[in-house]
Amino acid sequence: MKEVIMPKFGFTQESGELVRWIKQEGEAVKEGDPIAEVTTDKINMEIEAPASGTLSAISAREGDVIPVTQIIAWILKPGEAAPTGAVPSPAPQAASAETPSPAPLAAVLMATPVAQRAAQDLGVDLQKVRGSGAGGRITREDVENFANSQPSPALPDPRERATPAARRVAREENIGLGDVAGSGPHGRVQAGDVLAAASSAKQAAAPAQKPSAQTEDAFTALPMNAMRRTIAARLQKSAQDAPHVTFDADVDMSALETLRAELNKSAAKDEPKVSVTALLVKACAWALGRHPRINSQLDVDNNRILLMRAINIGMAVALEDGLIVPVIKDAPNKGLRKLAAEIADLGARAKQNKLKMDELSGGTFTISNLGMHEIDRFTAIINPPECAILAVGRAAQKFVPDAEGKPVARPIATLRLSADHRVIDGAVAALFMKDLRKAIENPGVMLS
Amino acid sequence: MREITYGEALREAMRQAMSNDPRVFLIGEDIGIYGGAFGVTAGLVNEFGEERVIDTPISEAAITGAVIGASLAGMRPIGEIQFMDFVTLSMEQLVLQAAKIRYMFGGNATVPMVLRMPGGSGTGAAAQHSESLENWFVHVPGLKVVMPSNPYDAKGLLLAALDDPNPVIFIEHKLLYKTKGPVPEEMYRVPLSQTKIAREGKHVTVIATSIMVGRSLEAAEKLKAEGIELEVVDPRTLNPLDEKPIFESVKKTGRVLIVHEAVGTGGYGGELAARIASSEAFDYLDAPIRRLTGLDVPIPYNRNLERAAVPQVDDIVREARKLAQGAY
Repeated sequence: MKEVIMPKFGFTQESGELVRWIKQEGEAVKEGDPIAEVTTDKINMEIEAPASGTLSAISAREGDVIPVTQIIAWILKPGEAAPTGAVPSPAPQAASAETPSPAPLAAVLMATPVAQRAAQDLGVDLQKVRGSGAGGRITREDVENFANSQPSPALPDPRERATPAARRVAREENIGLGDVAGSGPHGRVQAGDVLAAASSAKQAAAPAQKPSAQTEDAFTALPMNAMRRTIAARLQKSAQDAPHVTFDADVDMSALETLRAELNKSAAKDEPKVSVTALLVKACAWALGRHPRINSQLDVDNNRILLMRAINIGMAVALEDGLIVPVIKDAPNKGLRKLAAEIADLGARAKQNKLKMDELSGGTFTISNLGMHEIDRFTAIINPPECAILAVGRAAQKFVPDAEGKPVARPIATLRLSADHRVIDGAVAALFMKDLRKAIENPGVMLS
Repeated sequence: MREITYGEALREAMRQAMSNDPRVFLIGEDIGIYGGAFGVTAGLVNEFGEERVIDTPISEAAITGAVIGASLAGMRPIGEIQFMDFVTLSMEQLVLQAAKIRYMFGGNATVPMVLRMPGGSGTGAAAQHSESLENWFVHVPGLKVVMPSNPYDAKGLLLAALDDPNPVIFIEHKLLYKTKGPVPEEMYRVPLSQTKIAREGKHVTVIATSIMVGRSLEAAEKLKAEGIELEVVDPRTLNPLDEKPIFESVKKTGRVLIVHEAVGTGGYGGELAARIASSEAFDYLDAPIRRLTGLDVPIPYNRNLERAAVPQVDDIVREARKLAQGAY
């Protein structure tokens, strides 16, 4: 008998949404068979059968959001029955992961019995405590001092200071206290604050929640799945928090086109083809290296701007219903062919929902390209925690004056940078765009 | 309706009860010819004779014991302790006898007695004649504790206390004896354990006892001009307490100020605050429950200090205003 649990794919993942059961109740499965599909806020994954047997006692329905490590089904051998009352139940793994493991023997020997007892009571890891007793022995005082020096996890979020009445109203109105600005002493949330927040939330939601037609047959309702909810939450937050300022550059793409054609002509048969996208990524990586402010993140809590050492470029990929941003790691140090191959591979696997968690995280800058859909220019919303995003329009043939002032047709694309004005001022963004233009119109500069 | 004083209302209640029921008699220090230290029983000895208005030596324990014994024997006695301070001498009689007899005899005996006593400061009588000890009795199961705040309640509650089969500690206030109010002439009862909303308001619930009810009503009148509406609640009977109207009031206002003259530490306000915080009204509190009480000191002899030691109207105005304005 083996339990099937909601797996944990990411360090911070707390729950997953069950998309569908691939195998059904009572079906025979082999160890390693995909039996269900789940989605986190970043990625769709398959759950594999942890053992061979019969899939039984399914307790999660499609669409359920389930805490990680919770049991969602059992794999039974012939003659076995699923534990009664175990549906649904917390997995033993969850419990063991939460229970502080006993202190290693070496540390136990170096701590007095009361210190060990205190460490257990206070949840202190003895290995982290420096002993002040004879021979470095850890005393109870050491443990208590250590515990007192640690930030207490039990301290409530100061924003959650609220009167009982405020808490009741928040429950009734289904409002999170963390989102309510408190007007009481030391920012305590009062009942009136929650009521005000509730009524403004209702006002804001009113047009959205009340489409013109009231009857259910007047529309087709689509569920907000996990990905859609993530897109909604992240982009809403970005649009609200980051003052977006945009910078346009009409760039002549002919040099990039020429370079691509030359590289592909000279390529060996088994070598991957270089794409314009790979060249764009390369140009951005080069310009980002010269303008680290564009490759930064805002650490609001600590009042500082983090200039990221790595240059990891995300490429927005459209899915059937959704959007995902696989990340090309360490773009400056990858050759054009490798970049092109990686971009093609990530794009293809993105569409099949086969990306791994670490291929979706760690981005420091994003490129969104809608040129293939004949969009001339558009404004992209910054992908937090990044501070800038480049929106690429199509390269359309346009007449521009040549050196002698005669009109010549050139492929001209509009690049529009959206930057977070909290971090990036106009001149800083303009200098980045100037270098980006240089890299695209005269790729040779990237060798300098 | 005619207006008489708190002291006259009490006297009228006793006169009517004695006329109505031969079992009722009075016993206490200087209550006969002298008419009582505050004149409450003035003239009653002439109407009912020395057998029913009994003067005693200075002997609080004996007065209390006599009252308990008479009530056990079928009488309806009203004892008077001249100053509440000296009820301390009656504690064994009250706590171990009066409060326990009905229980110890399995309900075969009852103690239908009333013990009247004036408490409180404000007369310059200093630390040994100004105590507010009501919570000592609130703490003893078996005793009922009544604290009328106005002439109407004084008469009605005293007559209801006389009807009650249990010992009732009836706590008057020295400064209230001369205050006037409308009082019907007939014998009426104000039932024990009925909390009264003395004034309706929506911003702060002020729960006050005895003389603090009148001061809170004055404060409410002053704050009305500022747009702050106090709801003044008078429990009237401290134990057993009628909680429901208090909780309802708190649910309405979300803010509570408790005002009493007795010192705060171990006082009745703590009991009220705890009951509110444990009740369904908790979820309606929009500020900490505040208490305005006597300071934790013996009542000073000096007039200014005596005033400063217990809540005055301006103190209530200030505290209620801060509470209403969200300062706490």
